[in-house]
Amino acid sequence: MTPPLLNRWTDSSTLSLGILGVGNIGMVHLKSAAAMPSVEVVAAADAVPGNRERAERAGVSRTYDDYTTLLSAEDVDAAVVALPPFLHADAVERAAEAGVDVFVEKPLARSTEEADRLLETAREGDIAVGVDHTLRYQPDMQGVKAAYDEGSVGHVPYASITRLNDGPLGRPPAEDAPASWPLDADAAGGGSLLELGVHCFDVLEWLFGDLEVRDASMGRSLETDVEDAATVLMAAPETGTTITLHCGSYQWEQLPEVNTRLRLEGVTGTISNDDYLPGNFYADAAKSALSNVASRFTSDEPDVFGPTFYLQAHYDALADFCDAIREGERPPVDGEAGRRTLALAERAYELAAAEAGETDGEANETDAGADDRGTPEVTR
Amino acid sequence: MKNETVRAARIDDADRRGGWDPDVDARLAALESPVRDVLGPALEELSDAERITIVPDAHYPFHPSSGMVTDPAVVGAIVARLEDRTDAEIAVAGATDDRIDFDRAAEYLGYPDLLERFDATLVDLADEPRTGGLSGVEDEPVALSVPTRLAEDAVVVVPSLRPTADGPVAGAMRTLAALVDCDAGADRAPVAVTRSVEPTLAVLDATVAYGGDPIAADALFAGSAPAVDAVATSLLGRSLEADPVLSATRRTDDPVTVDGAGVDVDRLRGRISDGALPPSDDPHPAVTTAYRLYAAVAGDAVPPQLEGGR
Repeated sequence: MTPPLLNRWTDSSTLSLGILGVGNIGMVHLKSAAAMPSVEVVAAADAVPGNRERAERAGVSRTYDDYTTLLSAEDVDAAVVALPPFLHADAVERAAEAGVDVFVEKPLARSTEEADRLLETAREGDIAVGVDHTLRYQPDMQGVKAAYDEGSVGHVPYASITRLNDGPLGRPPAEDAPASWPLDADAAGGGSLLELGVHCFDVLEWLFGDLEVRDASMGRSLETDVEDAATVLMAAPETGTTITLHCGSYQWEQLPEVNTRLRLEGVTGTISNDDYLPGNFYADAAKSALSNVASRFTSDEPDVFGPTFYLQAHYDALADFCDAIREGERPPVDGEAGRRTLALAERAYELAAAEAGETDGEANETDAGADDRGTPEVTR
Repeated sequence: MKNETVRAARIDDADRRGGWDPDVDARLAALESPVRDVLGPALEELSDAERITIVPDAHYPFHPSSGMVTDPAVVGAIVARLEDRTDAEIAVAGATDDRIDFDRAAEYLGYPDLLERFDATLVDLADEPRTGGLSGVEDEPVALSVPTRLAEDAVVVVPSLRPTADGPVAGAMRTLAALVDCDAGADRAPVAVTRSVEPTLAVLDATVAYGGDPIAADALFAGSAPAVDAVATSLLGRSLEADPVLSATRRTDDPVTVDGAGVDVDRLRGRISDGALPPSDDPHPAVTTAYRLYAAVAGDAVPPQLEGGR
């Protein structure tokens, strides 16, 4: 049996966390936080009894069926908001009332308008906002950035990123009832572009600086309320790079295979994230596991989620947030970064809608920057 | 020895690029002639029906190009033909189960829009009255609770050409059994349900077959449910004798005769893989046990996906 990893640190510098939402990703955050030095998960909240029971089995001593009750009853330093997007703004508002810093799952909000209200509430409550954009924490993406920053292929006129998975409907055999909110435009704010594309926008901005959306197209392979495919054409003026982004939740995914492809086409060659992924996932996982076992005997901290690099990225993102809170610094991926990804997504929706004749040509095709708050409402 | 002939028709879509045409109108047009061919003599049996219920494989909203569900266009083409040649009220039926509401699955698959072209209605059998009854398998009585619509209507089952998670083909009999309450087990319930409902016809949607990977098979097969399931079993490289449902329902050990120009069954069988569904998302118990042991020794965290249902 794995012993609970909680309460490893109890000195006064310990950061106390509450986890709001302990579904799949919330449990990853809970387990990440529980394994962090100087972090203590003191409580978790979830409306689903089974999720609360999982949190309790993971060592959380107090659970609540309502995140507002947790925030009013517990004295926590920070909260992880791993709730569906339609609850993010309310959860941040409650956290601001309690003076609790927040680490919010992506997308930060369902729209820039909602994000602005959320960030204003956070400012008024003097709380920090971090966003869980994890691609930039993956070792393959960090390998690409290091090679790019070293100038290893010279000027990069073109880059492409693709992120595909099977979304809420999954793949055969059909086993569990799919959640309804990810396919509900009102609840999620959008489809694949808000679920996956925002991660891509974040990593592209991290690589190339400010981005400008030039064109976009949305697609649906089934009759769903939201898109399950998005393609976006962008420019990065600072680096003179043209970029295409394609994301979709239409492709069956078989973990540990993850279909995330980033290619930078430079003058002297190509930088690909494939070059920085383990050649054999299982061999690499075994190597990492052996290293962690050895660290037990050398009194080193284990590399948490070491055998699974995409979960390790979530650990690193939350750890960075916790470090920043502890040091009184701005989170490295903050609310403004999360808002910028929403602005890019909204611009893409506008252009796609205009292309499809769904608006009256209101979308300004000249040069709407990513941060243009005056862009018209889009009918999707 | 009756009903061991299956009618087959090939689907020609000369304008299609790749293995799938996303335009439902184009698929409906390409299916018109083959549906007419395979329904053929069965229309006589359906001509006097007051109501006809069509039961497609719509168990979950997987994309029809994967072969995991019936292509709604095949159902639409059948509805069109039946409306043209009968005066029956026509319904397309499925049933809400613990995985997904039928209305939701049908919506994602495009059935409401499709059926707006016709007079047919969409019916969730989970909301319909049921009729209790007894059927028999191997001389033992089997209790059933059958949606009254299935018990009273002329029923046309339209399965996809794919395996089940347990290995055998999904087929007409198992597709039908999924809509009926019967606790007789996976090997006996489809037999009992088929004997109770007595579907008038089964039409195998082999436009796309899934045998580990999808393949554009571009064919339809129609006949009795056991005969059509025998053809499906053969096309997916399974043994007819090893399938207890087929063994209990087929009236002869002779091969099924496939009658239809343009469909080369042997060649089709060679093109379709004999594989299985993708493995479950749940990791093997040995993997979860090993990971938990490793995590305990190393002090690492166990990902939620590897908790092994704890």
